[in-house]
Amino acid sequence: MEKIGVYVCHCGTNIAGMVDVQQVAEWAAAKLKRRGVVIGRDYKFMCSSLGQELIEKDIKELGLTRVVVAACSPHLHENTFRTACKRAGLNPYLCELVSIREQVSWVHTDKDQATAKSMAVVSGGVERVNYHAPLEPLKVPIHPDTLVVGGGIAGIQAALEIADAGYKVYLVEREPSIGGHMAQFDKTFPTLDCAACILTPKMVQAGTHPNIELLTWSEIEKVDGYVGNFSVTIRKKARYIKTEDCTGCGICWEKCPKKVVDDVFEAGMGMRKAVYTPFAQAVPKYPVIDRPNCTYFIKGTCKACEKFCPTNAIDFNQEDEIVTVNVGNIVLATGYETFDAKRIAQYGYGRLPNVVTSLEFERLCNAAGPTNGEIVLKDGKTKPKAVGIVHCVGSRDKNYNEYCSVICCMQGLKFAHLVHERTGAEVYNFYIDMRTPFKGYEEFYQRVLEEGTHFIRGKVAEINDAARTPDEEGKLIVQVEDTLVGVQMRIPLDMVILSVALEPRRDAKETAHKFGLSCSADGWFIEKHPKLDPVSTMTEGILIAGCVQGPKDIPATVAQGAAAAARALGKIHAGEIALEPFRASVIEEKCSGCRICNGLCPFNAILFHEDRMVTEINPALCQGCGTCVAACPAGAIVGTGFSNEQILAQIEGLLLLNVGEEAVPA
Amino acid sequence: MKEYAYFPGCSLEKLAVSYHTSALETTRKLGVKLKELEDWNCCGSTTYFHIDELLAYTLTARNLAIAEKTGLDVVAPCSACFKNMYFTAAHMKGDPDLAEHINFALEEDDLHFSGDIRVRHLLEMFAQDIGPDEIKSKITHPLEGMRIAPYYGCQILRPRRDHEEIENPRYFEDLLSAIGATPIEYSLKTRCCGGSLIISSRTAALTMVRNLLQCARDQGADVIATACPMCQVNLECYQQSVNQEFGTDFSIPVLYFTQLVGLALGIPKNKLGIGKELVSAMPVLAAR
Amino acid sequence: MSETYTFTFMKEVSSLLHAADGNPFPMCVQCGTCSGSCPVAAYMDYTPRQIIAMVNAGLKDQVLESNTFWYCASCYQCTVRCPQGISITELMYALQRYSIWKSRYREGLIGPSFSEAFAKTIVRTGRTFEPILAPSYIFKFKLGEFFREIQNATELMIKGRLPLLPPRIKRLENFKRMIRRIIPMGGVE
Repeated sequence: MEKIGVYVCHCGTNIAGMVDVQQVAEWAAAKLKRRGVVIGRDYKFMCSSLGQELIEKDIKELGLTRVVVAACSPHLHENTFRTACKRAGLNPYLCELVSIREQVSWVHTDKDQATAKSMAVVSGGVERVNYHAPLEPLKVPIHPDTLVVGGGIAGIQAALEIADAGYKVYLVEREPSIGGHMAQFDKTFPTLDCAACILTPKMVQAGTHPNIELLTWSEIEKVDGYVGNFSVTIRKKARYIKTEDCTGCGICWEKCPKKVVDDVFEAGMGMRKAVYTPFAQAVPKYPVIDRPNCTYFIKGTCKACEKFCPTNAIDFNQEDEIVTVNVGNIVLATGYETFDAKRIAQYGYGRLPNVVTSLEFERLCNAAGPTNGEIVLKDGKTKPKAVGIVHCVGSRDKNYNEYCSVICCMQGLKFAHLVHERTGAEVYNFYIDMRTPFKGYEEFYQRVLEEGTHFIRGKVAEINDAARTPDEEGKLIVQVEDTLVGVQMRIPLDMVILSVALEPRRDAKETAHKFGLSCSADGWFIEKHPKLDPVSTMTEGILIAGCVQGPKDIPATVAQGAAAAARALGKIHAGEIALEPFRASVIEEKCSGCRICNGLCPFNAILFHEDRMVTEINPALCQGCGTCVAACPAGAIVGTGFSNEQILAQIEGLLLLNVGEEAVPA
Repeated sequence: MKEYAYFPGCSLEKLAVSYHTSALETTRKLGVKLKELEDWNCCGSTTYFHIDELLAYTLTARNLAIAEKTGLDVVAPCSACFKNMYFTAAHMKGDPDLAEHINFALEEDDLHFSGDIRVRHLLEMFAQDIGPDEIKSKITHPLEGMRIAPYYGCQILRPRRDHEEIENPRYFEDLLSAIGATPIEYSLKTRCCGGSLIISSRTAALTMVRNLLQCARDQGADVIATACPMCQVNLECYQQSVNQEFGTDFSIPVLYFTQLVGLALGIPKNKLGIGKELVSAMPVLAAR
Repeated sequence: MSETYTFTFMKEVSSLLHAADGNPFPMCVQCGTCSGSCPVAAYMDYTPRQIIAMVNAGLKDQVLESNTFWYCASCYQCTVRCPQGISITELMYALQRYSIWKSRYREGLIGPSFSEAFAKTIVRTGRTFEPILAPSYIFKFKLGEFFREIQNATELMIKGRLPLLPPRIKRLENFKRMIRRIIPMGGVE
């Protein structure tokens, strides 16, 4: 007979407010005595040092052989209590944590019933723990290479941190160059550093780092494996350029006769050629040929680039290449997209020429952009005399995105400053709330106030061109309530900038699925813990950084890139990782070779031996999910840590079948 | 032959009689039958909501119940009637308690409304159910060169919340193109005509009418096409009031879209109720 | 003079909103989209946004004294644009109902008497009849407006667009009993 200790946590009032914890502990000690319970205690914070010491002391003094803790979800403190048991000399896997907070006190409103349910949950834990066996964690080696997906500032930062520490990184980017959105910006708030000036050194570093292998113009096809041992299939799209010969001299795009609107880097504001690098400081320097737009690929003739290339680096016969890399950790930094302003038809974007999005405006005021940094109207020459900046376009709006896009207030202030500085125009910021937390931001707000920008508190209702007065002729009219005055205003402007929301990538769901992650309802990737573990995910070995997790500014993005790198480096440095020893295995004599389980394994851990007609499970790949155990009609698959005996005993316990002063045979 | 249950609404009896007659004439020519609801009552317009919400729904539910008996989709030519029917049906379907309460009252007239009916506006029926292609194929007198401002107004669109559709709808334009006319682009096409404010808050409503007329005229409209009797009355019958109030000189005919479709189908003007306008459409239609 | 917050008015008005699906006007963030969109805002004593704030703050007297909700044209532009999903138009209806129920509205407004006359015509006959509505408003018009209105009516009459006899539905008795099941006491006749 095992000697079991039951410990019921108050969790302050989190549990004790809805569950009579003392009664639960006393009940367990009395009514489950015949099931092995020798002590039942309740304590204010079981997870505190004193709480843990209580358990350790009982293990030593009462000779406990099993421990059941009724507290919060195992996600939070399972490890705490297992470690406490280990310190007292008990195998950690002989401890069972049952949840009476998430599954009881937080979801019920009747104290008597919640208390009764807690008793049942404790009884289930007691029955189950009887069948626990001492286990040792599985150690798996960590492959020292890392994959970073996304070559924006988050991905670049993560890659550099890891590479600088001496480990190899594969940096995969979908576009022809790394740099991401930051490379498109002109200035960065609140210091007004030139974005390119601070970003391009990092891009060059990433491009030339001996430990970084750049895979631009490439996409992830497939991800197999698990923490420490991922195998990732990558499609390197055909560039039609022999990179070993190309010098990046630029003659090809100079000679290319085909002009194409650049919807990506220039946000539709400028042109590029069919063979191109997105911008002058692109890393790598090699161009790509945009096959759907290339005259040769469309008509079969042209080849101007090939004729003029001084190093014969053009190769129209290139094909996509599939490569597979093995890595121990993956950092996902795939960033964001901007909200399609056409969805708010009353703002006239797409219909009224001088209504532009924030990203378009970044290109408009960028010295390397289509107007060489001149802030001008769509006619290409007129400087605006009055400019409006509309905040929260597609953000903080239940009709589109409920969340705040974080960056728009500061971006609006930055634009106000740039317009003021370069055109002297009157600038209006239309905001609902000004949000300028973080270092130096409020000071920047003050600066823009001093410059004389007009701040109008009101969400813009509509923008149209229907003039009612001579002043309004030929202008964009912004209709808004100045809510601080309580009057509807019509403001004639020359240009309106829409601060569009940041949105998840259109293919975020697909990407999440590829990597075995989950997205929130609005499409951002879900972190392991929103406060305490923002760069980890529920899938061990896969980290997230930057806007893929939610809207954030550059400083926060860089911090996350570095944090994700630190996480990966920690694992690489340890060289191996201890995994839960919960694995399924096949009892060969019972296996009938029906193969029902074969297709079910989400981790491809099941192997079928045709010669012997039996199934085998690879313990290195198995994650202990239990799908095959439940599916096996012959009961030939057993799960360590979740055996049928354990599960059935827990169910009996929950049903209170064995409760009472008298012993009932198990 | 496609058939609809038809709820004309009070205005179409007299004030907007030309909408009624032109709707019947054009649908006949297009091979669609409008079957008028027997013994229908007033939908309560927006005004009844000022008095009692539940009774406002009940008034409309009676008409819906009568329509439901026919097993047909129901169509309303007036935007206020349409909005009331559309949302009463939606609320009753979504709220069993409300439906039960209202159906209890409907028992007095041996009626019951289950909530399963498709409610259409007459313009939606033309522009979406029948469709521009079908109409185009039957046009004999295309309105070439006629610049028409399609005026949607409010309650045909709102308060439905399918945003891109309600802030910048295109189906009225498509219909006008199908009959050979040139739909003009003007940014107030979904803005309010003032509705019943023309009585209760006259200056406000006249300003709204003025803004609409101004915007349509600035974009070169020969005619404004409407799909609601209230809009038609405000934009047309109050043009003189607007001119008096603001010293303007508007004289833009405001016709129902059914009259314009009818002309393109070659139906004689008198059968379409043309001639009953206060701002005569004759100068614009003279050549046709 | 300072005021203090009371929340009974907000709760009373909330309870008058049935079909607006729990219309959460206390969720208003005061962004002003409604009032920026409103075609009548310029004529209102307070903008719709201000009215929401005043209802939430319990400023009942000021709200009932205002013309705002009687000036609502029911165009629903505010409602479909509200980023918080509030049916502002429905709130305006609720305030109209509250105001009529309490018989408290500002002197000189046409809205309340017109609405009552309109409603009475319907419950008596099942239909509306424009000429009978005229007395509820026409005498409040300025002289110029008065004559303009008479002139309009005359022209419409000549064109055959005004009814001479009040229409009524056939099963009027059933209809009236139906109404009594909704409003058991008073209200009708």
